[in-house]
Amino acid sequence: MDQGTPATLARPRRLPGPGRIRLPVGDPGVPDTRSPARLLLWVGRHQIATLLGGMLFGILWMVAQALMPFTIGRAIEEGIVGRDNRALAGWAGLLLGLGMIQAAGGIMRHRFAVFNWLQASFRLAQVVSHHSARSGQAVRGRLSTGEVVATVANDAMRAGGAFDITARLSGAVVAYVVVAVILLSSSAVLGLVVLLGVPVLVLLVGTVIKPLQERQREQRDEVGKLTALGADTASGLRVLRGIGGEHAFFHRYHSQSQDVREAGVRVALPQSTLDAAQVFVPGLFVVFVTWLGARFAVSGRIGVGELVAFYGYAAFLVIPLRTAAEAVDKVTRALVGARRMLDVLAVEPHVVESDAPAAKPPVGATLRDPLSGLVVESGLLTCLVSVQPEDATDLADRLGWFGDDEGVLLGDVRLADLRLDTVRGRIVVSEADPVLFSGTLRSELDPWGRASDVAVLEALSVANAEDVLEALPAGLDTQVDERGRSFSGGQRQRLVLARALLSDAEVLVLVEPTSAVDAHTEARIARRLHEARSGRTTVIATTSPLVLDHADRVILVRNGRVVAEGSHRELLRDDAGYRDTVTRGEDL
Amino acid sequence: MSELLPIAEGAELREQARLLGSRHRRGLIGMLALHAVAAAAGLAGPPLLGQLVESVQRGTTQAHVNAVVAVLAAFLLAQTILTFFARRASFVLAEKIFAELREDFMRRVLGLPLSTVERAGTGDLVSRTTADVDSLARTIRFAVPETLIAAVTTILTVVAAFWVNPVAALPCLAGVPVLVIGTRWYLRRAPKAYLWERAAYATLAGRVGETVEGGRTIDALGLRERRVRRIDADLEEAYRAERRTLHLRTLWFPTADFSYVLPVAAALGWGGWLVSNGQATIGEVTAIALYVVQLADPVDRLISWLDEIQVGATSFARLVGIARVPPDRSPTSDEPDGDDLSARGVHYAYYADRDVLHGIDLDLEPGERVAVVGPSGAGKSTLGRLLAGIHPPRLGRVEVGGVRLVDLPLDTLRQEVALVTQEQHVFVGTLAENLRLARPGATDDQLDEALSAVDAGEWVDVLPEGLETVVGAGGHPLTPAQAQQLALARLVLADPHTLVLDEATSLLDPRAARRLERSLGSVLEGRTVVAIAHRLHTAHDADRVAVVEEGLLQEVGTHDELVAHGGSYAALWDSWHGDR
Repeated sequence: MDQGTPATLARPRRLPGPGRIRLPVGDPGVPDTRSPARLLLWVGRHQIATLLGGMLFGILWMVAQALMPFTIGRAIEEGIVGRDNRALAGWAGLLLGLGMIQAAGGIMRHRFAVFNWLQASFRLAQVVSHHSARSGQAVRGRLSTGEVVATVANDAMRAGGAFDITARLSGAVVAYVVVAVILLSSSAVLGLVVLLGVPVLVLLVGTVIKPLQERQREQRDEVGKLTALGADTASGLRVLRGIGGEHAFFHRYHSQSQDVREAGVRVALPQSTLDAAQVFVPGLFVVFVTWLGARFAVSGRIGVGELVAFYGYAAFLVIPLRTAAEAVDKVTRALVGARRMLDVLAVEPHVVESDAPAAKPPVGATLRDPLSGLVVESGLLTCLVSVQPEDATDLADRLGWFGDDEGVLLGDVRLADLRLDTVRGRIVVSEADPVLFSGTLRSELDPWGRASDVAVLEALSVANAEDVLEALPAGLDTQVDERGRSFSGGQRQRLVLARALLSDAEVLVLVEPTSAVDAHTEARIARRLHEARSGRTTVIATTSPLVLDHADRVILVRNGRVVAEGSHRELLRDDAGYRDTVTRGEDL
Repeated sequence: MSELLPIAEGAELREQARLLGSRHRRGLIGMLALHAVAAAAGLAGPPLLGQLVESVQRGTTQAHVNAVVAVLAAFLLAQTILTFFARRASFVLAEKIFAELREDFMRRVLGLPLSTVERAGTGDLVSRTTADVDSLARTIRFAVPETLIAAVTTILTVVAAFWVNPVAALPCLAGVPVLVIGTRWYLRRAPKAYLWERAAYATLAGRVGETVEGGRTIDALGLRERRVRRIDADLEEAYRAERRTLHLRTLWFPTADFSYVLPVAAALGWGGWLVSNGQATIGEVTAIALYVVQLADPVDRLISWLDEIQVGATSFARLVGIARVPPDRSPTSDEPDGDDLSARGVHYAYYADRDVLHGIDLDLEPGERVAVVGPSGAGKSTLGRLLAGIHPPRLGRVEVGGVRLVDLPLDTLRQEVALVTQEQHVFVGTLAENLRLARPGATDDQLDEALSAVDAGEWVDVLPEGLETVVGAGGHPLTPAQAQQLALARLVLADPHTLVLDEATSLLDPRAARRLERSLGSVLEGRTVVAIAHRLHTAHDADRVAVVEEGLLQEVGTHDELVAHGGSYAALWDSWHGDR
């Protein structure tokens, strides 16, 4: 459901101060992930009180409705047929009273049902989204972004439906029993017809539902394809503009749009059949009950008021039965959704912390990777040049502890023996294509909220991103779009570099931080970066001569091992392999 | 950052809706007529029951009962059959209207002025083509037909009640004041609240998506708990919006419910009084009371779709609003005389009063290769876009063969000059479809040639289904470098005489970029190429180098001339090239 937010939407003013509405729970707790049903039961246990409240009002609401045909019948029988105005006024008044109970019970039922739904859905949405936020890159390896978004946006919300329906379902069951009892007390035959006939008829209607759902699913698939095509066209339009091809695109959209239309027309058949069946089946029931009732009335077994009431019951009973069918559907969907949520919850983070963390090494300890032979001298700007590009990213991953324990040491302590927070706080690795998140520019550049505006501006200046800031209407208060989409690749790269600098890490590891900027800018960034990080430990994986020229030390890595080190110029002079790598195989 | 696309308003919106309706007048009338007849058939129950009550009261036979019930059954059958056809007609019509609407919209999107698309950014456009089209689906498929049907049913039911006995039917209207006041109150607030709700969920979905994609970044920067709080804040926003709509319903639902039961009680009370005065029969009062009971359903459906329609109307306004974008070019019948491209005194501003180009003159010799270099933000890309006819210049002219680029129809323009930027997009579809955008009739051999011209032959050969492999979102993933090669292959197929390459090889591994540029070289032979580049070897290889700084052309000349000149290009070259 990645649809972007229409920015034009005016939002109602937020409630101020202490009256502000908060989420039902701050901490959703630890879910029971043994099975989908257990997950739902775990949710339900937290909201038993509101579930019971909903049931109570659901029963009140439904029973008030169930008693209305009886009241109307009595009003006609005693009041109008019996010409008793006092009785008429009494029954009409009772009807009005029932109406009020129904209205009040209905809204209380609705409120409880919505609360039940919200509590359950939001608790589940929290559980799933928190888990994915805490699992780092592990989630992407297992599930697509769309799948995770769908579990939060659709599955969690659907799972709440199972809790929403409890209120109406209990009302429906009780009302059904009440009506059956009233009818049985009038006539055993009628009572039995109602008790047994109605479920049979509903099952009959149900036979149409399966093909309908099948075709609706087909239609949804076609609509999904069309939406994807629309998004694809709109987001690729700028590219399309440079090269042409609008006709081909319109043709594609048009033909998919017609497929959607045809799928819709195919839905129309079972849908219209269902609609007609929903007229016919209850109608048939009304006709039959009316016929029986009228025969009883003619033979004097019941009065006309009761006849009218029978007609009313027959029409009313459709509601509880539809509710029962809906409940089955909602619980099924909730279980399916719960299954998908469990898939997300089953993702384990890549890094596993040890139970007994070691003491923190002192500030300024040397970072070493025995596997490659790399030693990062503290306080210097070290550049890593790797002949094979994968080596650079592997090394960066090891230095930051992003996978299994591979023996990297900070001082004398293995990273894997430290707490993860300690490692992340001291060593910050900015990978090749980091994500810029949405929020105000200030809060995204300094997500830790500890830098002053001056420091932020300084970092932007080091990253040579002053022009990016200048072009923004609201400066640091500008809202960054989702994933920083509105910035160009080069702008985004400079912004995330500024963010990395603001992490103020003891050891900062940057992978190809200037690959998308022009030579002028790259040269400027390299110079300023060296100044800004002077006296601190910085590792840059790069092959750009403009950056290498500013390094204190340059290390050449081949086949995963350190093979040479020195200054850029020394290596350029002495090492043919190095020369080959950084001058991009040119023979100028 | 971006200027939003226009949204239709007031009279214009109504006009567009009216136009849409009038194009389908016959279908609409036919559908409504069918529904009216179906609804009318459904009105037989109450008077027939009234008649039964009446005749039972007077004493009657089983045969009469059977006859009346048989009539009731016959009406039911008629109603069932009519309902089937009426519903089917409305579904089919809705699909037709909706398809037409979204296709019109897409046609307009594809014809939008190039500069508008650039300026508005893709976010707004994507949300219109997806979220708005989707939200309108519910309105057109369900809300509009349901409302029309419910309105027809309501009117007919009231008419039928008055038909039975006008005086006794008066209480039908007893609920109207309560209902009108409550619903107006609700409708004034509801759409805004529901839009808030929708926006909150869209933000949440975006945030979760970002979280999954940025999982590594979140972990690396130690932002996990901050992320959790962010998501909770979004959930809280959605929760608040839910509470707001719940609050509105809390006040509105009981009002509506009460307005349905009030007329039933009134009909009985008033009816009883009339019967005792001899102004109505028991049968009539029964029928009217049952009509009033029956009325609750269509009235409820009628009013409960209204907020949906209001929300749908905002989406509709955003779709038809696209039509308000004025065209930025007016093709003339002038034909370019020659392939030479020139810019004269070109100024350009994205925002009024903030020129990013301050008067640039550049003549391109047919077949020459010009590299444009300069710092970020100097206006290189803007110049590239003007040269490719994407934007009309604010002042000055950009011409090919003596004709302004903005005077050329788009199809002709693309045969003259094409643009490839570092912004890449792999379209959903097969690799072949992705390539044929640039030349619809191209043969497979031509596609293969184009791919090998950009050094992409190797990886395409090992794709599971070669040219027929489905790529793009959800398909076989391509690396950024492969996507860039694909874009260049399209350019080869488009076959214009002038190409503008804006950082078009920046995502490739430097060595691969160099190799690609060399093999492209043979394809580009004889064409005019403007290469905007941040890698200086591109400049080194070019016939001429143009240095753009602060919106002006600072230096133009061959590589050797500029190095000898000792200006900013020379300084850059030295630092890039070290001491060698």
